[in-house]
Amino acid sequence: MATPIERIRNFSIVAHIDHGKSTLADRLLELTGTVALREMKEQTLDTMDIERERGITIKAVAVRMNYRASDGQDYELNLIDTPGHVDFSYEVSRSLAACEGALLLVDAAQGVEAQTLANAYKAIEANLEIIPVINKIDLPSADIESAKRQIEDIIGLDAEGAILTSAKEGRGAREVLEAVVHRIPSPRGNRNAPLRALIFDAIYNSYRGVIVFVRVVDGAMRAGSKVLMMSMNQKYEVDELGVLTPGLTPGDSLEAGEVGYVICNIKTLQSIKIGDTITDAQNPAKTPLPGYKDVQPVVFCGMYPAVATDFEELRDALERLQLNDSAFVFQADSSDALGLGFRLGFLGLLHMEIVQERLEREFNLTLVSTMPNVAYHIIKVSGEEFIIENASKMPPPGEIEVIEEPYIEADILCPTEYLSAVIELCKKKRGIHVRVDYIDSKRCMAVYQMPLAEIVLDFYDRLKTLTRGYGSLEYRIIGYRPGELVKLDLLLNGEPVDALSSIVHRDRAVMLGRRLASRLRKAIPRQQFEVAIQAAIGSRIIVRETIKPLRKNVTAKCYGGDITRKRKLLEKQKEGKRRMKQIGLVEVPQEAFMALLRVDEDD
Amino acid sequence: MIGAYIHIPYCRTLCPYCDFCSVDIPGAVPSAYVQAVCQEILTFRHSRAVATIFFGGGTPSLVEEAGLRRIVDALRHKFRIAEDCEITIEANPDDVTAALVEGWKRVGINRVSLGVQSFDDATLRYLGRRHDAATAVRACGLVADTFDNWGMDLIFGAQPVDAWPETLEQCIAVQPKHVSAYGLTYEPETPFAARSHDAVDDETWLGLYRQAAARLAEYDHYEISNYAMAGYHCRHNLIYWRNQEYAGFGAAAYSFIDSVRARNPADIERYTAHPGLKEESICLTDREIRVETLIQHFRLREGIEKAAFARRFGCEIRPEFAAALDGLIERGLLWEDEERIAPTARGFELNNEIGLAIVG
Ligand SMILES: Nc1nc2c(ncn2[C@@H]2O[C@H](COP(=O)(O)OP(=O)(O)OP(=O)(O)O)[C@@H](O)[C@H]2O)c(=O)[nH]1
Ligand code: SF4
Ligand SMILES: [Mg+2]
Repeated sequence: MATPIERIRNFSIVAHIDHGKSTLADRLLELTGTVALREMKEQTLDTMDIERERGITIKAVAVRMNYRASDGQDYELNLIDTPGHVDFSYEVSRSLAACEGALLLVDAAQGVEAQTLANAYKAIEANLEIIPVINKIDLPSADIESAKRQIEDIIGLDAEGAILTSAKEGRGAREVLEAVVHRIPSPRGNRNAPLRALIFDAIYNSYRGVIVFVRVVDGAMRAGSKVLMMSMNQKYEVDELGVLTPGLTPGDSLEAGEVGYVICNIKTLQSIKIGDTITDAQNPAKTPLPGYKDVQPVVFCGMYPAVATDFEELRDALERLQLNDSAFVFQADSSDALGLGFRLGFLGLLHMEIVQERLEREFNLTLVSTMPNVAYHIIKVSGEEFIIENASKMPPPGEIEVIEEPYIEADILCPTEYLSAVIELCKKKRGIHVRVDYIDSKRCMAVYQMPLAEIVLDFYDRLKTLTRGYGSLEYRIIGYRPGELVKLDLLLNGEPVDALSSIVHRDRAVMLGRRLASRLRKAIPRQQFEVAIQAAIGSRIIVRETIKPLRKNVTAKCYGGDITRKRKLLEKQKEGKRRMKQIGLVEVPQEAFMALLRVDEDD
Repeated sequence: MIGAYIHIPYCRTLCPYCDFCSVDIPGAVPSAYVQAVCQEILTFRHSRAVATIFFGGGTPSLVEEAGLRRIVDALRHKFRIAEDCEITIEANPDDVTAALVEGWKRVGINRVSLGVQSFDDATLRYLGRRHDAATAVRACGLVADTFDNWGMDLIFGAQPVDAWPETLEQCIAVQPKHVSAYGLTYEPETPFAARSHDAVDDETWLGLYRQAAARLAEYDHYEISNYAMAGYHCRHNLIYWRNQEYAGFGAAAYSFIDSVRARNPADIERYTAHPGLKEESICLTDREIRVETLIQHFRLREGIEKAAFARRFGCEIRPEFAAALDGLIERGLLWEDEERIAPTARGFELNNEIGLAIVG
């Protein structure tokens, strides 16, 4: 029996990173008996290995809970736990579109931070009912009054009815559920209208094929019925559908207002699009749901299979992973040095790291990735204009009139005592001062315009260090602006290596060239011949380093009869070498490409 | 024809750099161990003709004449021993006496390999050896008096590093027929692991290695670390380097027969309790044998004869190894003519690079 629509509540938990969303979700799962106590662990919904290792949520996760409220009625609550890190904010937007309400969590000790603000605005924009929740009230440094004030002053929400919780100790969880029931409206959908269901997520499962996660907005979907994916214009039969508890629990139907999963016999991954609307094939809806805006990647890098023959496997893996993370983009690319591979675009550096890690773990691939960069707008002397996402595609300096780079406007929230340090950092990163707002006596917000390239590298880490974790950052792209930019090439034995070139600010080219060359020298093992590493701008060599040749490599001892051990030793060493890329005569370990990543750290 | 190896895992004291399988004992090798070795030989499952016998260790010079005789008798009983069988014993200079040497002769031993290591007292102390240079010279004399076919092991790269040329001079002065010159390695899990900061750098190592090769120019530098006068190559070790069949008896000994590489338990008690019981047996695939054969052959100056490879495996070296071989030839580590493919002088010094390419 489907739950009457008046007794369904769909909501997300949103917050700045680490404010306790997943921990609060644990308490709600416990209280509703959704997950048996013995199966509970910390942050139960963070199921991916990477999430558990890093202690952060990467993927939004939906789960259905049954709750008997104080009014004696049974409710169906669909919760979506979202990530807090800025790189995964697209997950938040997608989740909010499937909800009528949001819990806005604020860490009582940290107060409102940049993503609190950004995610609150997203919820306001999506017209959701927002319930402020002040969490971690058990901490000695908790300042509930200040948190409330900040919610009102910075975000402009009424904090009168904010719920106080300690997700860790389980305090306030029931109040949260009651507020969800009584303050969040039930879904507005019409169960008699033709079916419209929003695809908000999907995953590829090697046994079951594509599993699609939907929020049914109008009508109902039944097992065995024929459905149509509206924008892709593809018809399927529903093999199985059901709800997430949080495992897949099959049922007969999903009705307007409900959240669940659908398995059809979807063969090609390209025929499914996150944000698409599913309707009834016999009785289709007239218009699809609004869907999602396309994401704009800001950081790009090349990824190449360590073994060239894995190219097709990498393509499959990318297609499958994209189902589950529609925020990255990719297209085939090739490099003289690294062969056939892909150019990928991401929402940030952490996003890039996670995508690479997931590709390697979930698809058992070994990848070489190149230095990340932003996109550049090139205007040639000839008047021709285009965007490049890859430094190696830059035309020769003589043909270029202007290089423009993307700029962002950053809101940096921090306690006032760190303001001068933050301003110092922004200046170093070529920041242009816009204004500083003093929120109260303790906190302020600095607004700066900066080249995106400066932010993507290590700005966030630096900010965190400078402000002892209290500073936070939110930014938006404001367009391209001309910059004093040059292409920095790295040469191995005189040959430029396309995968190692980058576009940098003129004033820092020499310093960066030096660091890159010295990193490379340390990362490349000795070879039989001397290897020269040079950094160059155009034809001007600015740095030269050499790797001395391998002088000897021999086990002079007599191994007696132990020849198999010797062979196995060699095979193991060889395995390490397989992870290297042969560039000309030089064997370059993959780590060399990654070692170049954080060039701004002090060596 | 196979080689028979007998491992004697006992030494008077343990040298701090050594990672061979050995334990220290005050007296002679226990007869229980000799008994176990004989039992293993007599219950050996394959019958083959034996071309070489090698008593290695540890310190085989700690085995009394009677013990050696029992083992040789067991071998004669079990196998057909070739008429010209090479029978080697490894010996430590401090054990060598005229009586002992006479005993070896009586047992039928016809080749002696002395663990001289150095003719410099400071180096011998650094290595923790029990003998001094004078003892080494005396031992060489005693052995040379009785045996025509004898050689010595030397170690370079130990402290003081610059004692090496003098050691080479003294070596040549006593005219051994065979010299093995190994670079000192600081093996993990030996007391020397803690001194690995003493290790010479690659450049120095190479200098010492080349000094040996230059000073021993009258000898045939037939393997990376081995030199022999014409006709005095160590036939037993050549069996290993040509990846031919051999049977190993005693604790920690290896065998390679009928494509199976097997290892005896290293633990002496375990070995003595069940002689002949294998700790591990790996049946190698044809491909693995081809790889190992090439790796081993490329330790030898003679390299591999192409026709011999084809005869042994029923297929040519190319195309299977073509890419690796061509790469190595291009890198100057191997050379090739009509008849054979063999390492160059650089191919000796960068021998692991050859191995890496071949396994690849
Ligand atoms: N003292 C205290 N710690 C809490 C409380 N709630 C969560 N934490 C801790 O805060 C840390 C972050 O909690 P998570 O639940 O992973 O935070 P999150 O908001 O889901 O983080 P992301 O998903 O990565 O944005 C963990 O170490 C929790 O144990 C609380 O009420 N009190
Ligand atoms: S080096 Fe020779 S004598 Fe010294 S412990 Fe090792 S086997 Fe025994
Ligand atoms: Mg979380």
